Formats: sequence, structure tokens, C-alpha cells
Amino acid sequence: MRNNIKNIVYYLILLLPIALATSCKKLDVTPRSTITNVNYGTSAVQIEAEYAGSMNMLWGKYYGYGVAGDRTPDVVFKNDDQLQGGNLQVDPALGDMLWLAHYQALVNINNALGSIKKGMVQETPQVIAQLKAEGTFLRAFNYFYLTRMFGDIPLLTEDSDPTALVARTPIKDVYSLIVSDLQYAAANLPSSWSNAPGKQTSGAANALLAKVYLTMATYPLNDPTYYQKAADAASAVMSSGIYSLVTNCNQVFLPANTYSPEMIWAFNSVYSDKSSAARGWAPGEWLDGGWDNVIVDTAFEHHWPAQPRKDAYLMLNLNGTPGVVSYTNDFATASPYCKKFFFYLDPNDFMNNTCANNMPILRYADVLLMYAEAANQAAGAPTQAACDAANKVISRANGYVTNAGHPLLTPSIGKQAFDDAIIQERSWELCFEWPDRWSDITRKRILDKVSAPYPQYLAHYTPNDYLFAIPQNDLKLDKLLTQNPGYPHP
Amino acid sequence: MKLYLFNKRLYFKNNHKLTAMMKVKKNLTKAFLMTMLCLILFNSSSYSKRELIEKNNELKYSFILKTITGKITNESGEPLKGASLSVIGTSIVTTTDADGNFKIAVSENAKKIRISFVGYKSQDITIGNSTRLNIVLVSDVQSLLDVVVVGYGTQKKSDLTGAISSIKGKELTLLPVQQVDQSLQGRAAGVQVLNPTGAPGQSAIIRIRGMNSINGGNGALVVIDGLQGGNLSSLNPNDVESIDILKDASATAIYGSQGANGVIVVTTKKGKKGKPLIEYGLILGNQTVRHRMDLMAAGDYARVVNEERSTNDAAGTPPPVFTDAQIAAYDKSGGTDWQSEIFRTAPLQNHQLTVSGATDNMNYLVSGGYIDQEGLLINSFYKRYSLRANLGADINKRIHFDLYYSGAIENANVQPVGDYPSYLGAALNSVLVFAPTITPYDSAGNYSKTSVGYGATDSWNPLAAAKEPQIMNSNVQNNVGANLDFKILKGLTFKVVGGAYISNIKNKSYFNSKTAEGQSSPIGVGYATYANTLYYNLQNSNILTYDHLFGIKHHLIVTGVAENQYSQSQSVNLIAQGFAVDITGADALGGASSVTGSSPFSERVLRSYLGRINYSYADKYLLTASYRADASSVFGSLHKWGYFPSVSLAWHLSNESFIKNLNIFSDLKLRGSIGITGNQGISPYQTLSNMTNSWSGNNYGNANYPYNGGPQTGNSMVGMIQGNSANPNLKWESTKQSNIGIDFSLFKGRLTATAEYYNKLTSDLLLNQAIPTYTGFATVLSNVGSMENKGFEFSIGGEPLVGKFKWTTNFVISINKNRVVNLGGINELDFVTTNGGYNVANGFMQLRVGGSFGDMYGYRTLGTWKTSEATQAAKYGAIPGMLHWDDPNNDGIIDTKDIVKIGKAQPKYTFGWNNHFTYGNLDLTIFIQGSQGNQIFNMGRIRYESQYEGTSKVLLNSWTPTNQTNIPAFIKASTWATYPNLVSTNTIANGTDGNRTSRWVEDGSYVRLKNITLGYTIPSSKLERFGIAKLRGYVSATNLLTITKYVGYDPEVSNFNGNDAQIGVDYNNYPTAKVITFGFNITF
Repeated sequence: MRNNIKNIVYYLILLLPIALATSCKKLDVTPRSTITNVNYGTSAVQIEAEYAGSMNMLWGKYYGYGVAGDRTPDVVFKNDDQLQGGNLQVDPALGDMLWLAHYQALVNINNALGSIKKGMVQETPQVIAQLKAEGTFLRAFNYFYLTRMFGDIPLLTEDSDPTALVARTPIKDVYSLIVSDLQYAAANLPSSWSNAPGKQTSGAANALLAKVYLTMATYPLNDPTYYQKAADAASAVMSSGIYSLVTNCNQVFLPANTYSPEMIWAFNSVYSDKSSAARGWAPGEWLDGGWDNVIVDTAFEHHWPAQPRKDAYLMLNLNGTPGVVSYTNDFATASPYCKKFFFYLDPNDFMNNTCANNMPILRYADVLLMYAEAANQAAGAPTQAACDAANKVISRANGYVTNAGHPLLTPSIGKQAFDDAIIQERSWELCFEWPDRWSDITRKRILDKVSAPYPQYLAHYTPNDYLFAIPQNDLKLDKLLTQNPGYPHP
Repeated sequence: MKLYLFNKRLYFKNNHKLTAMMKVKKNLTKAFLMTMLCLILFNSSSYSKRELIEKNNELKYSFILKTITGKITNESGEPLKGASLSVIGTSIVTTTDADGNFKIAVSENAKKIRISFVGYKSQDITIGNSTRLNIVLVSDVQSLLDVVVVGYGTQKKSDLTGAISSIKGKELTLLPVQQVDQSLQGRAAGVQVLNPTGAPGQSAIIRIRGMNSINGGNGALVVIDGLQGGNLSSLNPNDVESIDILKDASATAIYGSQGANGVIVVTTKKGKKGKPLIEYGLILGNQTVRHRMDLMAAGDYARVVNEERSTNDAAGTPPPVFTDAQIAAYDKSGGTDWQSEIFRTAPLQNHQLTVSGATDNMNYLVSGGYIDQEGLLINSFYKRYSLRANLGADINKRIHFDLYYSGAIENANVQPVGDYPSYLGAALNSVLVFAPTITPYDSAGNYSKTSVGYGATDSWNPLAAAKEPQIMNSNVQNNVGANLDFKILKGLTFKVVGGAYISNIKNKSYFNSKTAEGQSSPIGVGYATYANTLYYNLQNSNILTYDHLFGIKHHLIVTGVAENQYSQSQSVNLIAQGFAVDITGADALGGASSVTGSSPFSERVLRSYLGRINYSYADKYLLTASYRADASSVFGSLHKWGYFPSVSLAWHLSNESFIKNLNIFSDLKLRGSIGITGNQGISPYQTLSNMTNSWSGNNYGNANYPYNGGPQTGNSMVGMIQGNSANPNLKWESTKQSNIGIDFSLFKGRLTATAEYYNKLTSDLLLNQAIPTYTGFATVLSNVGSMENKGFEFSIGGEPLVGKFKWTTNFVISINKNRVVNLGGINELDFVTTNGGYNVANGFMQLRVGGSFGDMYGYRTLGTWKTSEATQAAKYGAIPGMLHWDDPNNDGIIDTKDIVKIGKAQPKYTFGWNNHFTYGNLDLTIFIQGSQGNQIFNMGRIRYESQYEGTSKVLLNSWTPTNQTNIPAFIKASTWATYPNLVSTNTIANGTDGNRTSRWVEDGSYVRLKNITLGYTIPSSKLERFGIAKLRGYVSATNLLTITKYVGYDPEVSNFNGNDAQIGVDYNNYPTAKVITFGFNITF
């Protein structure tokens, strides 16, 4: 008996360390010196850093090296009728880099929105609402760009399982998210930020919303009821009293006018930023050589009536003399160049690839033209307000003088002619501001029409060219995905 | 004399007088009575016949006893103290005294006495009529192997069912070894040991049965005295009692998630009963560079430079770099032999002192070691101070306590090799390309600068590169382990193990203004690094063991363990540049104008439960089954737990009568096992997505998008992005291994052999898997891919000669075939082995599906075009004397389509052959070891055999029309001019891609006389009067002879980039030493 008691004591002794062993450390170890998406996103600064990161993904893709001819998959910029060799047909791999870039942006935006949703952010409700609005704005922006290029797309939000394979969401549902995101942004973003002129505002949200509605009113959804909504959204921007056109068209993009009342939202630049470097826009004849990246189509130039805007936006000769078109003699390429973003500050800046002009995404001139187009369509005929809006842009283009080659618009012109004139005006005013021209071509379904000067494209034209191909890589890895018509499926 | 047991009392009757001795309890055993009896009998010598009558029980014992005395010695006549004698069939035992003498009383019926002593063969002596026995015990190395340490316990070797190789510490210390890891080379089948660098104090790379993992690590788990995660290289070899290498799943699955790469179990020595022993060992050595490169003297070099220069100008010969007079002067002086400038003969010394002993309930061993080893390269050294204290105590009959402490301080200065921190900074790179025409110092006494206008202009004075860096690496390690053993019931024991491994690694370096890294720049001078890591690992294991023999045939051992491990690592890493002056260096980083730093912290938890059953039936049929469940914090919540089962069977045929009757085998056993092990060697937190502000995707390096906008000159903010895709589904890599083995022993154990065949399939390999880019990422670390290792191991040992001239020998050979089965949907993974210095930007080390670790891919060269092949050469735009590139696809163009496999780093087989001879007091050990069928990419040759900057003597043997060698000719531009229509179709030859070529691939096979040691033990009879128990002196040579075709410093090369996919690339590593040592061991 005594032995048994002793044994029991020993058993107890042995049980003790087992109990200790199994209870001392938790198996979920929280990282301390590593920042992970689990412990990040608790303050306004952290959330906005993720938004900044998302813009980083797109920044270099849309401008700067994004327009450089040496990285072929990136040169979506050339996908319209404005640049030399502008390829109106869509190569299957053309959109891969942009697809990746937008989704890289989205994963960070969704992560930030997830942190907000989980209640991780330690800020006032008003700040939190603003942070969320910044995020929904950016998400809508990315999805809007994606769906215009790819149609039905994988739609991921902060609620999605990041490891799950998904199918494509129909365009209509993509737009529902875009619209609700932008409505939230328009309602919760301030009309301006102190000390942060580059951030998205309620004006930017309305401007983008106008563009979204206008696109919904045209192809592929083709629902004309959205014209009025587009006009209303544009008019909200116009009536805000914040935005106006820069007086001279040759100063619109000037580095000094980076935050002018015309610039609603843009890719922000810093001085050391190579994305706006003059050299990328310059012809080989400049100093030690521009990079010849952005060469303008001669047919596009021929069609453009003489006016101050033409001299401001196109480089037609080497010495910059207005009204003189001598590029065939001046440049080895015998073509004009894009001048609107080209700012020669001094030789050092040129050679060191530094400059600091913002690259526009939403501009007041764009909003005026969107209003004009939407109001005309909604009313069934050009209204005076529509004409007035468009004429602001045309007047500036003409240097506020009458130009027989490019007259002002009047209501008498009629609905269709007015609409055609606005699309043409957008092509000139918004030239090289990708993807505005390409987007107008696709939503108006006028690829065959604009291809007329280019028989080599017209011969191969199909309606499938209005959408890009879904990347082969993703199709291979996700069997739920389908390919757009006319493109190979691996 | 008579004893009576009557009325529970013991009576003693002498001369008819009855004396009551004591009251006897009812349950007093007969054994006790007999012991009592013996005591009495010994004290009374006057009677030769005695009787005990136990009346009550009606039992009658009759003892007719005699006393036997004698002496037990070993073969050299030394008395053996503490040898045990037992009378077979009785419980009578005794031990010898300090002089080896014994005295034992035996009954008349007793036939035999068994004498046994640890380390000697047991002997059964027939008593016969003798009363005095002088017995010589024969030492038995085999008997030491009788017990094998397996995971969480020990087993008799004869009961093993798994594949385990055992090495005794005594075998290691016969040779003058500094490091345990290096000394394992060639000793155990299936264990590949690479000594990738000759730098002192560097760890060896140990691979057990091939390489399983690409990203998870392939290092074996080291368990020292039950504590996991030990460090072999800092362990004092003198402290090692035994090393058991667990290889198959039956043996390793008990370590579950840490067992996939094999387990090395080290048991350290304990004090043994008897007189305290004081042992001192000294090793004094002299190291020299085993093999130097064959480089040109200055005169030849100058002529080659002139010849190269003359190829440059089509119009005529440009002016030579060196005048004839200069060349004549160089011929006279020979110029600078840079290898001699930076290499030296380096001494080493190693002191070992051990004090050990044991009493009835205490044992102790305290040892200290000191190593002071200088490196072959000037300004390099390694020092290690080590201390061990092992204590064991029986607290009472039931509780035993063990305490293990070991500590080591390692200090080393080893200059960088390879690309770190820059190609330039490594003396071993520049020594092979720096012009011999330059003197070490210029006329002002400063280090000479590099040559101007010829030679390797991006090199650095090798002497400065070797001498000036101040590297101070230190590692302070503490290991503490404590065990408590409870004997709960007969056969049931419980053991609690607690332990900690703590290390503090501090690496400091300062590159002063005389070095490439620290040369003066606009921000100042100097380049300093400081890295401090405090790491600790805590472990608690609770082991319950039940060991019982049911009947006489069913032996069952059941083991259950609950275990917890926690490890933490905290580091500070700093890089400082731009000091005002060179004075303070790495000890005052605050003085630098630029300091960048990081402070990583990580921790991991491993919780485990495991069980094992060992069952044997009649010692014929053996079964081991184990199961382990591990939960690790490094995996996501869905996959924290991993389960690792194994089962093995063995059939001990030699215990079957039909084998016994053959009288051939003294031992014969068949074994088979299957099981699953894991690899948790991924860094913590990889299931999560790391946030980073460093991003290379937009050409700007950082996520510094100016989100807020604002002033045009700044106002960018630090953006944060997710750097990688989170994968909560990450789990263990798991390795399924099956093994069959046979052990046999012939000629009464004089020949023993083991053969094993295994098949390992590692699946769920951690790889970066391509994922749809709509996730925002291109890849995610996932469990995809699989890898196979199949192999054969054979070891044979024996005693071909016994008697006065003895020879024991052991030969092991290992064959492993590694194959990539699946890489998760991709066909190849490229590894860029270097990005600086050697111009090999494209990954020639590739893992391809169907290939194996260490496969090399590139362009094949078939020597040079010979004059007779001019027409064929012309098709490729080449002329005789130029390199003949192979065009395997015969499309007339040499381009990337012509890439073929040009080499493999994995050997066909490795082997080791150990021989130990003794003749009287002389002993001789010869150890031969080697590797066959592997190739090495000798990257250094790209530069030192290049025509432009090479210093190799092969350039003197370049192709000429009269001597058409395979070294490309110096082809003058004017020669080219005579072939106006030649258009080269070779798109790679002139680019750096042409550097991944079979031209630099060499046979890496070697056979090496790793060690030869001649020792002499002075007979103890001559030492006794000095109080010395044993004295052995020896001379030894390591790496004395190597047979290899490999031209680099040493065929034992490996990667320094840390991935096994890149083994077999030689970046001019630290040369291997040839070491001559003298040593002695003295025991008091």
C-alpha cells in the first residue's frame, strides 16, 4: 500500500511537467520585427501608405517608361490612331502588364479597405470614412480601367479569399461596384485637402463618375438612361466652383501648373521622377538625343486644323515656331512629336531625366466635353449649356479668336453632328492622355471608322478588337476563366 | 561451521556452540541469506566445507566452497580496475581492485566464471581445480557498439530495425581532429560531408542520403544529449562518447517534422567508476597550402600581355606594353608571386584536458579545450575555448539526475571569399588575376594599385585585400541540459529533459581605406559591418518508457513523449560607410556618415507528442512502430499539425535454428522500414504577407509615390505594398522513405557488413508557384513539386588480422541518385550563382524536371578548331585556333537552343576506407576517402585563363598552327582581315553568356589519403613510477595525398550562396590545408 501511494506521488510528479509543457507557448506567433498585412493598417498614415503603394504600381505603366517603346507589352499607349504605328489591332499579350499592374494596385487597396472594415484603424469616424472613400475611389478607378480593357473581369474585394480561384464577373456587376464605390467616395471625400493637392477629392469622384456613367450609356452596356446621370455628375463638378480651364493652352501641363484648377486628379510627380522626363517625349534631334518614344501619326496631324492648341500639343518643328509645320525636314523620323508633356527646363534636367509635371488622369476640359456629350444625348439635341461647355474648350484651343478651320458649336448643328464633333474634340484635346481616345473609340464602336486612313488595319478589323485578351498566364492557371472572343485560349 | 534457521532466527554453530545471530524476517530472501553466508565464510578461513540447513522450509543448501584469487590485465599487461566477475549460475559477483586483483568464493558445483569489462570482450573461464587465475582480457571495439542511441532512448544494436550508423568518439579522437562535423567524412555510409572551405573553424556541410529540399534546407537535425538543434562544429571532439546517425524513416520519424534530412545524435562522455582520471591531450600542427595554382612568372606574363595587345590592331602591330628590356628584367627577378604573398605556413595548437570519475552514486566529467589555429591566408585565424561539465547523481534509489553543461567561445577572422561584399575585396579572387609584374608596394611604401592599360583592371592588391580587412567574428554558445529519471515501477521509467541552447553571434568587420570596399569616397573612408544575433532554443521533453519482458519471449518497450520547443532569434545588422578617419573602425559606427540597419526578430514554437512501440519475439522477430504529431507555429492555422508515422520490421535470422545450424553466420538480420518525415525549415511568418516599401517593379526602387502631391521637389511619402502573397495553406514538406537492409557477420564476428537500399520521395516541396496575376502577384510560396532520392549504402568491416599484429578495417560506400520529379508546373528553376566578377549573369545551375541537384547547363565546347577543320569552322564564321562551339541541333547557329547539360555536381558515389593497425605498442591509422563521378564548374578560370587578364600558365600553351592545343589562339586582327567574308553565326561567344560553358567544367573526382597517423603507447609498466596510467604519442598527416584531375585549389568545393542547387561551383574558395601534426595523450 505504501508503495502504491509512493507510485501515485510519482505519477503526479510526472504529470506536472506534461501539463506545463503543453500549455506554455501559443502556436500562433505574431511577428514583431516584420510588418505583415495582419499587423499593418492601423492608422491613417498606414492606410494612405498602402494607397500610395497602389498608385506606385500604375505610375510607371501609364507614363514615363510606360510609353517607352522599348518595353513592348507596356505600350498600350499606342493602341489608338494618334501615334505613329499606333496599332489598332490588339495583340494577345498587349494587356498583360496593365492587367497585372491594376491587380497589384487592387490587392493593396483591398487590404487597406479590409483593415478599415475590421475596425483596425484608430482614427475618428470622419477620418475613417474619408480613408474608406479614398480607397473606394481608387478601387473604382482600377476596376473601371480594367473592365474597359478586358470586359468581364475577376472582381475581388476586401471580402474575397485571396487564395481562391475565381471566375470573371459580368461587366454589369463590375459597374455596380464601381458606381457604389464612387458614390461613397463622392459623398465622403472633401472637396479639397489642405497641404495635399494631389489627393483625390469629391470633385475627382464626380468627374470619374461622369466618365463611368458616360461609358455605361455607350458600349458595351449601351444603356442611354445613364446619359442624364453622366451630365448630372459632370455638372456637379462644373458647379462646384473649384475648377476652371487654364487660360493658355500651352500652359495646361506646365510643371508650375501641376495643381492648377484644371487638373482634377493626376499621377503626381516629383522632381527626380523619370516618368515625366522630357527626354522620353523628345525627338532624337534634341541635345544628346531624345528617345524617340512618342512619335505622332502624320495623318492625325494633317487632320488637325491649325490653331494655338495644335502648336501647344504637337511638336511640329525643331525650333518651336508656332504655325510652322516642318517636321518632315527637321526630324529623322519625318513625323511630329508629342509636345504637351514635353518641358525643356535646362540641359541638366534633360540629360538627367528629371522633370516634375503631373500626368493627368481627370482634367476639367475632359469634364466639360463629357457634359456636352451627355447633355446632348440626354436631351436628344444639343442644348445651349452643352454648346457652352464645349465651346470653352474650343475657344481656348483657338486662342480665343475665331477660327474658320475650327468653329464654335451651336445647337443648330443637330444631335449626331454635335456628338461627332465632341468625340473629335476629345481626340484633340485629350490626345496622348491614354486611354481616353482608345476608350472613346471602343465605347462609340468606331474602330472601323477611325481605321479608314489605315487600310492595313481595316483589312484585319473585327469587333473582337474592342476588348483586350485575358492574359494567357492566368487562363492557364485558372480554369474558371474564359477568354474574350477572337483570342487564343491555351 | 553450520548455520541453522530455526524459529525465524538464524543460528550460527561453531565448535558445537550455538549462537543466535539475528532474527530473520519471513520474507527474507534466500539470496540475502546466501550473501550473509558468503560474508561469514570470507571472514572465516579455517573451514573448507560449510553447510546451511534451513529447517523450517525443509530446504537444505549444501555449499562446498573455495576461494579463488587472481589478477585481470589487458593485452599490454596493464591491470584492469573495476572488471566484474560473476559465477555463472549464481548471484555471486565481485570486481577487481586498483591493481586488477580479485578474490571470489565459489561453490564446488560452480563451473565457470564470467569476466566482463567495458571495452573488452567478455570471457567465460572454466574453474576446474585452479584456485588462482590470471586472466588477460582482449579489447573489443565491437562491444562498444552494443548499445545504440536512438531518438528518446537507447536500444541494443541487435534489436535495431532501422538504418543507423554509429561512430564511437574513440575512433574520432584517434586522429587529430578539431571539429566533429569534419571528422564524420567517409565514416558512415549514406553521409556526405563537404568541407567547402579550408578556412579555419568553418562548418562542414553534411547531407544524409541526398538532398530533399530546395527552399526548406537540407541540414540534418543535431541532437546532443537529448537536446535538439545543437552545433557540431563547436563541439569538442574529445567530449564525444558516440555519434549515431539515424538515416531511415524508422529511425528519424520519431523526430517528425525535423527528421527529413536525417538526425545526428551525439552522446557525450560521462565519468566512469573507479579512480579519478586526468587526461591531457596536445596537438601541435603545421598547415601548408595543399595545392597552388600554376601561374606565370612576370616575364612570361609580360610576353602574353604583349601578344594580346598585338591582336588589337588590324593595320599593324600596336606598340607593346612591355619593352624587351623590361621583360628581361622580369625574367631575371621573376616578379611577384602573389600566392606566396598571401599564403603562409600556419601553425595550430589544440589542448584538451579532462577530469572524470565516479563514485557509487555520482559521476562527473569536466573537460576544457583550447584551439588556436592560424589560417593559410595571412590575417586569418580561429580560436575556440570550450568547457564541458557533465554530472550525474542518484538522488535516491528511484531518482537519477543528470546535468550537462557545455560552453564555447569561438573567435575567428576569416576574410570574405567569392562575391561578398564585393568581387574586388576578396584576396582569393584578385590573387589569381593581379599582374605579377607589379610589386606589392609602390616606391612610396603604399600598396601598389592595379595595372593600368593591361591585365585585370578591376582587381585589388591581393596583399592589401588579405591583410587589411579587420574581421572579428565571435560566437559565444551555452548549452545546458538537465535530466531527471524516475523509476516508477519495475520497467517503468519517466524522464524529464529540460535544456537550453543559447548563442550570441557577433560579426564585426572593418574595411579600411586601403581596401576596395573602404577606399576613399566622397562621403569618407571605410566600410564597416556589425551584426549581432542572440539566439536561444528552449526544450522540454517528458519521456515515459515501459520496458518489460513478458514470459521469456515477448519483449516490449513502449515510449511516450510530450515535447515543447521554443526558439527566438533577435539580430541587429548595421552597415556603416564614410568615416572621417580609419581609426575607430567597427567599434564606433556612430562616426560614419551613412549607417543603415535592420533588426530582425523571429520566434517559433514546436509542440509535439509521440509514441513508439518496440516489440521483439524471441529475439527473432522485431517490430518498431512510431507515430509523432508536431504542431509548428511557422505554418498557417489550417496546417499547424503534421503527422509522421513509421513502421519497421526485422528478422533476426541468425537466431533461427536453421541458420544457426549452418554455422556460417554469427549474425544475420534482415530489416525493412517505411515512414514519413517532415521538414519545417522555412522561415517563420511566410504564411503571412510581408509589407515592404522596397519594390523594384517601377524602376525607381522604392514605393515612394507622392500620394499627397505638393511641392514639386519633394513631398513623396513612403508607400507600403504587400511584398509577397500570403499563403495560409503552407504546410510541411514531407518525405516518404522506405528502406531495406541486411546486417551480417561472419567468422565469429571478424567480418561484419551492412547493406541498405532506400527510396525517398519528398513531396509538397516548398516552391514559388505561379498563380493567376489577378491575385496581384505572379507567384506564391506553396507546397508543390517533389524530389526523389534513391540510394544504396554498403559498409564492410572486420578484423583481417588478430593477435600481436592486428588490423581492423572498415569500408563504406554510398551511392545516391537524386531526381527532380515535379517543380509545380514549371520545367526548370535557374540559379544565378554570381552576379559580379565572373560575368556569368545567366543561371547555369538549373533544376530541371528529370534532372538533379547540381546539374549545370550551358554551351559545350569541343576544344579549338584545328587547321584541318578550317572549312567546317568557316560555316560558323570561325577560323582555326578559335573555340569550337558545339552545335547539337545542327542549325548552323550557336545560340541558346544549343544549351545542353554540361556537368553534374552530384557524385556517382562517395567512399571512405578506415584502417587501424596495431603491433604491440605501435598503432597506425590510415584513412582514405573520396568522391567519384562529380563535376565542378571552376569559375575562377574564366578570369585567370582569359587572354586579356589571365595569369595562368595554360596561356603559354595557346593554340598555334604548329601546336594545335585546345587553348584558343591569340588571333590578330590582321589575321581576321584575311577572311573578309566570314560572318560569325555564333550569337553567344562574344557575350558573357558564353561563359557558361563546358570549358570550365572539370572532373571533380578525387581519392584522398585523408589521414595517416602513427602512434606509440608507452607501456604502463614503465610509467607507473611517474604516476602515469597511460601515455600515447603520435604523428599524423592530414590531406597528405590527393589524386585528382581537378586543377583548382581543392576538389571539395561547394556553394557559398547557401542553396544546394548550386553545389559544385568553385569561386576560388579558401584553399585546403595539408596538415602535419604531432600530439600526445596522457592519462593520470
